Amino acid sequence: MIVGLYTMLTKKNLIKVIIGLSLFETGIHLLLVVVGYIQGATAPIFSKTTGSSAEMVDPTPQALVLTAIVIGVAILALALSLAIRLHEYYGTLNLRKIRELKW
Amino acid sequence: MVAVLLIVVPLGLAFAMPLFNFVSKHIAGYIPIAAMLCNLILSILLLPSVMENPQIVVLGGLSPPLGIHLVAGPLGVGLSGLISLVGLAVSIYAWGYIKQGAQDKYHALYLLLLSGATGAVLTGDLFNLFVFYEILCISSYALVAYLGDRNGVESAVKYLIQGSVGSGLILVGIAILYGMFGTLNMAQIAIHIKDVDSPAIFLALVFLVTGFGVEAAVFPLNAWLPDAHSTAPSSISAILSGIAIKVGIYAVARVLFTIFGVAAVFQYVLLLGLVTLLVGEICAFSQDNIKRMLAYSSVGQVGLIVFAICIATPDGVGAGLFQLVSHALSKAVLFLGVGYLVACSGSMSLSSLNGIGKRMPVVCFACVVAAFSLVGLPPFAGFAGKFLIIRAALAGKGIFFTVLIGIVLLATVVEGAYFFRMVQTLYFKDAKKQIEFKKTPASASIPILALVVLIVALGVYPDVLLPYLKSAAADLLNKAGYIKEVLG
Repeated sequence: MIVGLYTMLTKKNLIKVIIGLSLFETGIHLLLVVVGYIQGATAPIFSKTTGSSAEMVDPTPQALVLTAIVIGVAILALALSLAIRLHEYYGTLNLRKIRELKW
Repeated sequence: MVAVLLIVVPLGLAFAMPLFNFVSKHIAGYIPIAAMLCNLILSILLLPSVMENPQIVVLGGLSPPLGIHLVAGPLGVGLSGLISLVGLAVSIYAWGYIKQGAQDKYHALYLLLLSGATGAVLTGDLFNLFVFYEILCISSYALVAYLGDRNGVESAVKYLIQGSVGSGLILVGIAILYGMFGTLNMAQIAIHIKDVDSPAIFLALVFLVTGFGVEAAVFPLNAWLPDAHSTAPSSISAILSGIAIKVGIYAVARVLFTIFGVAAVFQYVLLLGLVTLLVGEICAFSQDNIKRMLAYSSVGQVGLIVFAICIATPDGVGAGLFQLVSHALSKAVLFLGVGYLVACSGSMSLSSLNGIGKRMPVVCFACVVAAFSLVGLPPFAGFAGKFLIIRAALAGKGIFFTVLIGIVLLATVVEGAYFFRMVQTLYFKDAKKQIEFKKTPASASIPILALVVLIVALGVYPDVLLPYLKSAAADLLNKAGYIKEVLG
């Protein structure tokens, strides 16, 4: 997560910034899954072979992560398509050169 | 169960848009109008009953601590009424204004944005709040870039990157809270938060407020706002300024008051609001691009609203909400009206609008009324808002607040200066070149004039709104009451 944030802050290339964004999100997803993890527990799937619910990890964070991944994909797709348009207009993805709008 | 319709109707219609487009190419523009009209009527019908006791709508068959649920309290329903009112005006305007590009996609995204906003103010679940907030954000990123021109795309990229970092931070905050309390229900978290005293709670608070603060454009997180608001299509600027940042403010207030309720933090956020106010107004003063000027003025007004809400007395919160309503109405009128003027003159610089007031009297008159309302001249709504804020702040504690009010009034003077400059440009300067005169189409003038009438009505009779605001403020401040309503 920190690596992703660092990438976003320091890189000049827009694509690299977007990669940083993706890393940042993945880090958060990992954090969410870790929050619900229980040592030695199994996946939260109820069937005849598995035991009681006490031996399973918490399913809620996993549901949250699924939702967050979907949202992340939408943001990433939008960001990349905007990057393509930006490249069409400016012929560069260098963010130091794309700065027509200021204060 | 009626409250669910407030979200379901726009959301369903947004996804049904391709079907409608399949039937007829011309139908797309009418759908947001119908959806918003439906929402407005529903909200107004719901408001009296939720004033007495808020409705808890259980979704998915699991009762509140477990499942997701909506809390249709006075604040939520009142805000959804405001959203649908401004949304209705803007969708009528957009029906005549959006003529290029994929119109059905524009209207679908627009409906998604509004359903995200409505959902965010109604939900009682922290993660659900995040999801609706993301629906709002993602559709607004796309709408800012709708015209697909150089500046639009550039500002959309900026907005997207800052916005998604913000929502990442919200998610971290949610993860921390879930890890500590094992629940996402806001009322449930609020109960348990008193028992735990650890730095992790403070960390979660910082993450959540920073994340939602990006959308609310609280300084220093406001860098995206002037770009996005000034380069988006004018109908979208109006909705971003009138609705989207208000949802951000709502989320910040909900997190601060309901979930955490830590009185010590209010003062810092209050000062943050004050700095936002000053920065916004001073930047607005130095702008020549008229839409950028309005965008910075939005930043300033957000600061004022945050300031008022963080006074954290019932009067203060009520005054902040009044200012929120009056700003949503006035800024919608200004962006719609100025958007029309800009479309006619072909340039956004203030000097290109010299003397346009004589040619387009209706639109310019509306802009002037809205500008005066923002500055806070009687008899418009802004006067009542600012008056209430200052009265609430004076009722507060001692000399500290008196100094703060001095700063607020100073910012108002700056605000007055640039809005009067705008009025002077519109009416009292001679046009350099002849602008082709076009008659104002009814789709532009009707929503603008309707909002103007509301601004004046609210300014003359602010008492109409006050009982609603009082119970909405109580909804926000009364943490124990909120918990009791949700968990029964």
